Amino acid sequence: MTDMRSEYSKSLIQVGKENLNVVVLGADTTNSLKTSAFGKEFPDRFFNVGIAEANLVTISAGLAFSGKIPFASTYAIFLPGRAVDQIRNNIAYPSPSNKKGLNVKLISSHGGLTVGPDGGSHQQIEDIAIMRVIPNFRVFIPSDTVAVSKLTQLMAKEYGPFYMRMARSKTPLIHSESQDFQIGKGITLRDGSDCTIVACGITVRMALEAAESLQLEGISCRVLDMFSIKPIDNEILEKAARETGCIVTAEEHNIIGGMGSAVAESVSESYPVPIKRIGAQDMFGESARDNEVPLLLEKHGITSFNIAKQVKEIRSKKL
Amino acid sequence: MRLNYYQIKKNILRARKLVVKATTLAGSGHPGGSFSMAEILGCLFSKHLKFDPQNPQWEDRDRLVLSKGHAAPGLFSNMAVVGYFQESELDTLRKFGSRLQGHPDLKCPGVEFCGGSLGTGLSYSVGIALAAKLDSKDYHVYTIIGDGESDEGQIWEAAMTAAKYKVDNLTAFLDRNFIQQDSYTEQVMPLDEKLEGDDISEMWKDASRWKTGDKWRSFGWNVIEIAGHRVEQIDAAITKANTTKGVPTMIISRTVKGKSIEHMEDNPEWHGKAPDSDVVPIINLELDSQFMIAPSIIAGDMTHLENEIKRCISGRANYIHLDVMDGQFVPNKTFDHTKIKELRPLTIIPFDSHLMINEPVKHVRDYIDAGSDIITVHAEVTDEFSFGEIHDLLKQNQVSVGFAINPDTELPEWSYKFLPTIDQLIVMSVVPGKSGQKYIEGTHAKMARLNSVLKEHHFSGYIEADGGVNLENIGSIFADGARVFVGGGAIIGQQDVRIAIRDFRDMVLKSRRRILLDKAYEIGGIDLVNKWIGLHVVGEKQEQIKKIAQEAGYI
Repeated sequence: MTDMRSEYSKSLIQVGKENLNVVVLGADTTNSLKTSAFGKEFPDRFFNVGIAEANLVTISAGLAFSGKIPFASTYAIFLPGRAVDQIRNNIAYPSPSNKKGLNVKLISSHGGLTVGPDGGSHQQIEDIAIMRVIPNFRVFIPSDTVAVSKLTQLMAKEYGPFYMRMARSKTPLIHSESQDFQIGKGITLRDGSDCTIVACGITVRMALEAAESLQLEGISCRVLDMFSIKPIDNEILEKAARETGCIVTAEEHNIIGGMGSAVAESVSESYPVPIKRIGAQDMFGESARDNEVPLLLEKHGITSFNIAKQVKEIRSKKL
Repeated sequence: MRLNYYQIKKNILRARKLVVKATTLAGSGHPGGSFSMAEILGCLFSKHLKFDPQNPQWEDRDRLVLSKGHAAPGLFSNMAVVGYFQESELDTLRKFGSRLQGHPDLKCPGVEFCGGSLGTGLSYSVGIALAAKLDSKDYHVYTIIGDGESDEGQIWEAAMTAAKYKVDNLTAFLDRNFIQQDSYTEQVMPLDEKLEGDDISEMWKDASRWKTGDKWRSFGWNVIEIAGHRVEQIDAAITKANTTKGVPTMIISRTVKGKSIEHMEDNPEWHGKAPDSDVVPIINLELDSQFMIAPSIIAGDMTHLENEIKRCISGRANYIHLDVMDGQFVPNKTFDHTKIKELRPLTIIPFDSHLMINEPVKHVRDYIDAGSDIITVHAEVTDEFSFGEIHDLLKQNQVSVGFAINPDTELPEWSYKFLPTIDQLIVMSVVPGKSGQKYIEGTHAKMARLNSVLKEHHFSGYIEADGGVNLENIGSIFADGARVFVGGGAIIGQQDVRIAIRDFRDMVLKSRRRILLDKAYEIGGIDLVNKWIGLHVVGEKQEQIKKIAQEAGYI
């Protein structure tokens, strides 16, 4: 198991060494997000603005307007959940000549239900919907530390506003070090012909486990890591719809407006097939100690068992 | 470099007129807040900001962040005046396809911040200021925030951050106009103290009730408090802010919402509403009718001129008229540049040096160096060549150019070519040489003759009336076209200079109101007269204007 925040911290220092314009901002969560290590390495390029997320976002915008590449990070609940006006009007909307938005990277940790003991108030299950709807933003959810590292490097090089949501908990490795990550390109982790499971973040592992167990029952599932939620990979989704005839999505986000919605929007315009969305069922989370988090996820049906169950059910609805 | 007073004033006037035109054509927009910050922006654009309209992205430019983005017409107008785009483009304000959006937008080259959602511009400015420090750039960030906007918590988040990171390359203005969309700020959310009743005038006058400065000081900022429509105070505050190291500066500028248009002043209704097109000609005439009062200190105690300066300060004179007499061009002798130099440190109020001396071309340099902001020389002792030399020297040093004619002198033909760039024309209404003389009545007729010549030759400066101006005749002198009034005995000779100046202003105001009613009648008859009167809803204005209209026989 590896830790996304440690990987993010390491990657930041690396991109900070490569590009002197990279600056890092935090809002009193810099030890938790481990960005304080960047501050030790580059004290002049590190700003802790206190518990002031609106300020965090807008100062980043000012820095970006002046040629810097700010990485601003804190917990998911306090970023899109709290500062959406600043994200929209100070980062996404201002478009200097021929560019789209300002060059700010918003990185959150503690997305979704797996935040655990802090409870429903801190479990951000709306951020993907919020960020996806804002023009000019691109939205990533990495499934492991390889993705975190590669996407951090990608964002440092690619102009424009990005949102990347990490999970609090440690995650198993999904990808090999050689895996290529491209904006708007999903990754096929497993091929299959009977159904496609589309996942992102912590549900990618569940999807793979579900596919494995279904294989034993003779059901062949394709598994996609849809880390790039916006832009979404229309091509890979259309192909999946045509070739497998049905789709199950899984995410730790409200089923309204999240990755599953993005998939449904795409497929309904290209090659409509039955889709089942797994995620928070339009209800808030609640406290769960770390060893109880699986129970919380189970309550919302976010388990490999439920994914497998839904695959079987949706196959009967194929057109 | 001196103040360049008149050039700044002229640019501000042009910008205000453009705001009126643009918002009227758009049918919406925010004139009130554009006018309260008009002098601040005018002063920044005309003197302090480093920028290049041909190269808006010049990396060493100063950055101007209009956090109170609804005042976009004010920003765009100033940008047009200094050449970012044609003034005619303002006709597209708020229209489909325009670069001039309802709120400032990077779509328009030169705009540095997409304003509109309030409370964010200061944080953004902190970001720019931090970037400048990282890049070792010495450009400066100027930010304008509103007082209504200060309800937003993020303003105070930014205030703390700016102090923590010691961004002394950031200077912010608080446009303290006491009005936000719903009502007076002190009713909606007090920054100073809660307002009981509807009259903000007492609170505005009583400095002991202002607490906003203390707020900013306690947040660790360098705070400068000024009257935000006084160009010289804004100028001095910016200069002081730029030399203050280690802390950001907040210039709290006490302003009047809708400033310069009486019916908009202090009226919350004009926060976000455009004028009707039928009143625009009256409004433009009102804007053209700003006036200044300049006490002449030689009418006081010549042995204690320092004290006379102090009286002018307490009387809130617009500027101080300094009559320099050499005992040759005129029989009397007063003082020369050495005295002006001595007086200069006493005040930042502009010095209006009127040189009644022979061969001014030989001495004008001394008067620039002594700290004059306006220097006037006489037609009788200059010619095309010597005046040309003086004119150019003054312009180079950002000193306003004045030209004077004695009662018996007509404007010389050689001076016509200078008229478009002369800032001030003194039409003497007494024979110069001593104070206490009576106004020469023939001056009225002379002014009528002059006005057509001035118009023909594109004079765009201010006419100063000098000699025998008093409460009885100031109204008619204003109606003749004079906009600056030198007051000798009638001001400096009075016990209380402040009351004397206030009385002068009241008389001019009365005359101006009459002229505006005449204009209303001329273009729209009695209906427009009534409409114009009806617009004046704040305080006693409507009753006073009604009375003038009755006296004129309109109602």
